[in-house]
Amino acid sequence: MFQAVSAKLAQTLLVLLIVSAASFTFLKLAPGDPVSIMLGSDYSKASYDQLTHELGLDQPVLFQYGKWLADFVRGDWGTSYITNQDIFELAVLQALPVTLTLAAFSLLIALLIGIPTGVLAALYRNSWVDVLATTLAIGGNAFPSFYLGIILIWVFGVDLGWFPALGFVAPWEDFWEGLWYLTLPAVTLGAWYVGLIARITRSSLLEVLGQPYIAAARARGEPGWRVVWVHGMRNVLMPLVTVIGLQLGGMLRGAVMTEVVFALPGLGMMVTTAVLNREYIVVQAGIMLTGLLFVAVNLAVDQTYQFLDPRLRRR
Amino acid sequence: MQDALKITLLSGASQWKRRFLQPLLRQHSALVGLAIIAVYVIAAVFAPWLATHDPAAQDLMASLQGPSAAHWLGTDSYGQDLYSRLLYGAQLALIIGFASVALGLVAGVAIGLAAGLMGGRTEWVLMRIVDGLLAFPELILAMAFMAVLGLGTENVVYALALSFVGPFARMTRGDVLQVKNQPYIEAARLMGVPTAAVIWRHVLPNVVSPILVQAGMRVSIAILLESGLSFLGIGVVPPTPDWGLMIAEGRAFITMAPWISGVPGVALAILLVALNLLGDGLRDAYDPNTRKDA
Amino acid sequence: MDAAVALTPEAADQAAGQAPLLEVRDFSLRRGKAVVLDGVSLALQPGETLGLIGESGAGKSTLAMALIGLLRAPEVQLEGSLRFRGTELTSLKEAEFRRLRGNKIGLIFQDATAALNPCFTVGEQIAEPLKRHLGLSKWDRRERAAALMQSVGIPEPRLRLDAYPHELSGGMQQRVMIAIALACNPELLLADEPTSALDVTIQAQIMELILDRVRELNSSAIFVLHDLALGAQVCDRIAVMYAGQIVEEGPSERVLAAPLHPYTRGLKSCVVELGSRTLVPIPGQVPPLDAMPAGCRFAPRCPKAQAVCGERRPLPETRDGRQVACWFID
Repeated sequence: MFQAVSAKLAQTLLVLLIVSAASFTFLKLAPGDPVSIMLGSDYSKASYDQLTHELGLDQPVLFQYGKWLADFVRGDWGTSYITNQDIFELAVLQALPVTLTLAAFSLLIALLIGIPTGVLAALYRNSWVDVLATTLAIGGNAFPSFYLGIILIWVFGVDLGWFPALGFVAPWEDFWEGLWYLTLPAVTLGAWYVGLIARITRSSLLEVLGQPYIAAARARGEPGWRVVWVHGMRNVLMPLVTVIGLQLGGMLRGAVMTEVVFALPGLGMMVTTAVLNREYIVVQAGIMLTGLLFVAVNLAVDQTYQFLDPRLRRR
Repeated sequence: MQDALKITLLSGASQWKRRFLQPLLRQHSALVGLAIIAVYVIAAVFAPWLATHDPAAQDLMASLQGPSAAHWLGTDSYGQDLYSRLLYGAQLALIIGFASVALGLVAGVAIGLAAGLMGGRTEWVLMRIVDGLLAFPELILAMAFMAVLGLGTENVVYALALSFVGPFARMTRGDVLQVKNQPYIEAARLMGVPTAAVIWRHVLPNVVSPILVQAGMRVSIAILLESGLSFLGIGVVPPTPDWGLMIAEGRAFITMAPWISGVPGVALAILLVALNLLGDGLRDAYDPNTRKDA
Repeated sequence: MDAAVALTPEAADQAAGQAPLLEVRDFSLRRGKAVVLDGVSLALQPGETLGLIGESGAGKSTLAMALIGLLRAPEVQLEGSLRFRGTELTSLKEAEFRRLRGNKIGLIFQDATAALNPCFTVGEQIAEPLKRHLGLSKWDRRERAAALMQSVGIPEPRLRLDAYPHELSGGMQQRVMIAIALACNPELLLADEPTSALDVTIQAQIMELILDRVRELNSSAIFVLHDLALGAQVCDRIAVMYAGQIVEEGPSERVLAAPLHPYTRGLKSCVVELGSRTLVPIPGQVPPLDAMPAGCRFAPRCPKAQAVCGERRPLPETRDGRQVACWFID
C-alpha cells in the first residue's frame, strides 16, 4: 500500500514538474524583452544591464528555472505591470475562487437536471422523454456557450429583467445576491454539461438495470423507486464521475467563454485580458494555475473512485 | 471454399465499400450530419459566386439594417452584408477547422509513431513533452500559443494544431504499442522486412481508423475553439469575416439588432451539431472499442 | 409424506381436500410472438420439493421468474393461472406482489457474484428484506442478519456483516444469497441452478445446505436444474421441460427409473454414469422460439416421431402415477 501511494505521489510530482517547465517555457517563448518592457521606453545600457542582472536573466536557463520555481512555490509570482497588483493575490485569491464557484454551481445545476433526465430517458427508453433527452444532449453539447450566454443575457437579463445581465457578487459575501448574479452564467456553462450527464446516466443505468443484482433486489421485494435510485444509481456514479473528470477540459473551455460574456472576474477573464494586454507573466500564472487545477482534479477523481467502488478500496 | 475465393478476389473498390462505406451508411444520424456539412462546404466553396457583397465592404449608411432585398440577412454596425460574411465565415471556419486538425494529426502521429517504435530514452522524452501538452485544457493551451505567436488567421491554425498534438500522439503511441506486440509484426520482422515497410504496411493501417475517428471528432472542437478565440479577441483579426468575431460584434447590439450575432451564432450551432452527429457516427461505425452510447 | 409424493395433483386435491401451496394451471408466457412457456400445469404441496429439469432454453428459469413476479405484463403476456396459497398471482397488483417477494417467496440466483450488488455490504443486503417485510429495527436487523449468516454456515458472521461481496469467495457469496432468500422464512423457495456457478468441490455442500434449511423451515422448494440425476436425488418430484412445455412430471424415483417420454429417456442416456457403456446424445437442437413446430415440439428430434406428432400437440395424460405428454407412450 505504501508503495502504491508513493508511486502515485512520484507520478504526480513528475506531472507537476512538467507543468511548471511548460509554464516556464511559455514565459521564455513569449515575444518581447521583459527587461525593456519593465523599463519602459527610456533607459540606458547601464540600467538595462543592472535590471537584467537583478532579474537573474544573465544566468543559465536551468538556474533561472530553479529560481523561478522557488519563487513560485513561495507565492512570489511577481507584480502586474499594468495594475501593479501582486499576481499571486490576483490569480489565487481573486480569480480562482470566482472560477471555482462558477464551475461548482454549473456542475450542481447540470447534475440536478441531467441525472433525472437521464434516468427518465433510461426508464422510458425510446419514448418522447428519451428523444427529448437525446436532442438536449446533442444540442447542449454542441451549442457554443458564448452565443448561448448572449441569448440568455438578452432574454432573461435585458428583456425580462429577471437576472442581472453582467457582473459578479461574491456568494461568500452575500450568498443570495451572489447566487442571483451567478444564475445565468451557471446555466450557460451547465447547459454544456447537462446533455453529457444525461447521456452517460442513461446509457450506464440501462446497462446496470440489466444486471442480475437488480433483479435480485426486486426479488427481495424492494420497491421500484429504490431499485432504480439506490441499487441502480449507486452503480452509475462511477462512470458518471469518470466522465465529469474527463470533461474538465471542456468545462474550463466553457468557463473562460462564460466569464468573458458575463464579465466575471475569474481565471478565464484574467488570462484573456492578460493575453490582450500582452502581460505574459500574468498569462503564465494562469497557465500554471489551470495546470495545477487539472492535476488536482484528476487526483480527486482517482480518490473518488475508491470511495465509490468498494472493489477498488485498499484494505 | 467459394467464399474464401470470393474474398481473395474482391477488388480494391468493393473492399473499400465493405470496410468503410457500409458501416457508415448504417449510421443514419451521421448521414444527416454529413448532409448538413455538405451544405456548408458548398456554401464555403462557392462563396465568391453566392455572395451578394464584398464581405469586408463597409457601408455606414446601411448599418444595423434588418433583413431586406438588398441585404438578405441584414447588416452589422459597419453596414457589412451579413449574408456574404456568413458565406465567407463558413469558408474560414471549415479551413481553420480542417487545417488545424490535419496539422495536429500529422505532428501527433509522427511523435506517437516515433515514441512507440523507438522506445527507450526517445520515447520517455517525447512522452513527457506530450504529458506537458496534455496537462492543460485545450483552450488555455491555444490561448498560450496565440499569446506567443501573435494574432491572425494563420497563427490560429498553428495554435490549435499545437494544442491537438498531445491527444493524437498519445493515441498513436498506445495503438502502436498494442500492434507492435502482435505476432504478425514479429513475423514480418523475422522475414527481414525493413522497419519502414513494416510501419507502412502493417502498423499504420491498424492505427489509422481510431485516429481518423478521433480527427473527425476534433474538427468540431477546432471550429468551436477557433470561433471562441476570435470571440475573445485573440484569434482572427477584423475585418476578416469570422463567425466568432461577428458574434462578438453583435453582442453590443443584441437588443437593437439581434440578427447580427444571431446569423453567425445559429450557423455555428448548426454546423457544430452536424459535426458532432458525424463524429459520433464515425466512432460507432469504425471504432468498436468505444461504448456505443457513452 | 410418501403418500403425498405418489399422488398426482388432482388426486392429492381430492384425497386430502388440502389446497396445494402452488398451483400452475395451463400457464403460458409470450414475449411478443415467441411463446416461451406453453400450457404449463403443475402443483406443489406444502413441504414438497420439485425439480424443473431441461436443457437451457427450455423455459425453466422463465417459469421461476414468472413465479416471483419479475416477469410480468406488459413486459411479457401471461395466460392461464398461477395460484399461490389460493391467491391468483397473474392478476396481483405490483404493490401486493412486492409483499410476497423475498417474504413468502424467496429466490436464489444462479450466479451469486453477479446477483449481489457490489456497492453494498452483505449485511446491508441481507437486512433489506428484514426491514421491508418484517419491519425490524436497525439493531434487530443486524442481529438477525448475523444469525442468518451463521445458519448458512458463514464463520464469524459478525465480522463478515460489513464485508463487500467481492471480499468473499464464490461459495460464501452463494451462502449469503441463500441467507437473503430465506431471511423471512418463505413458504416457497425458488432456486435457479443454485450450484452451477460454483466449484465442483462445494456444489454438494451448498445443495445440502439448501435442502437442510428448506426442511428445517418446512418450506416448499422448486429447483431449476439441468441434471436429471441430481434432480431426482434432491427432489421429491420432477418436471421435465422441453421448449416451454412440461413433457413428463411425476415422483423422482419413478421418472428416473422408468422414463416414459422419449425426451426424458434421451436426457437420462445423456447422463454419464460410471460403468455405463454407451452415451447417446439427443440429435439436433431446441427449435428457436419463433419457429416452433405446430405439433409436438420435440417431434423433429424424436426417434419415435410419426406423422401425427408433427400435426397435433399431445396433451398430458396420467399414466403410472405421472403426467406424460406424448402420442406414443408404451
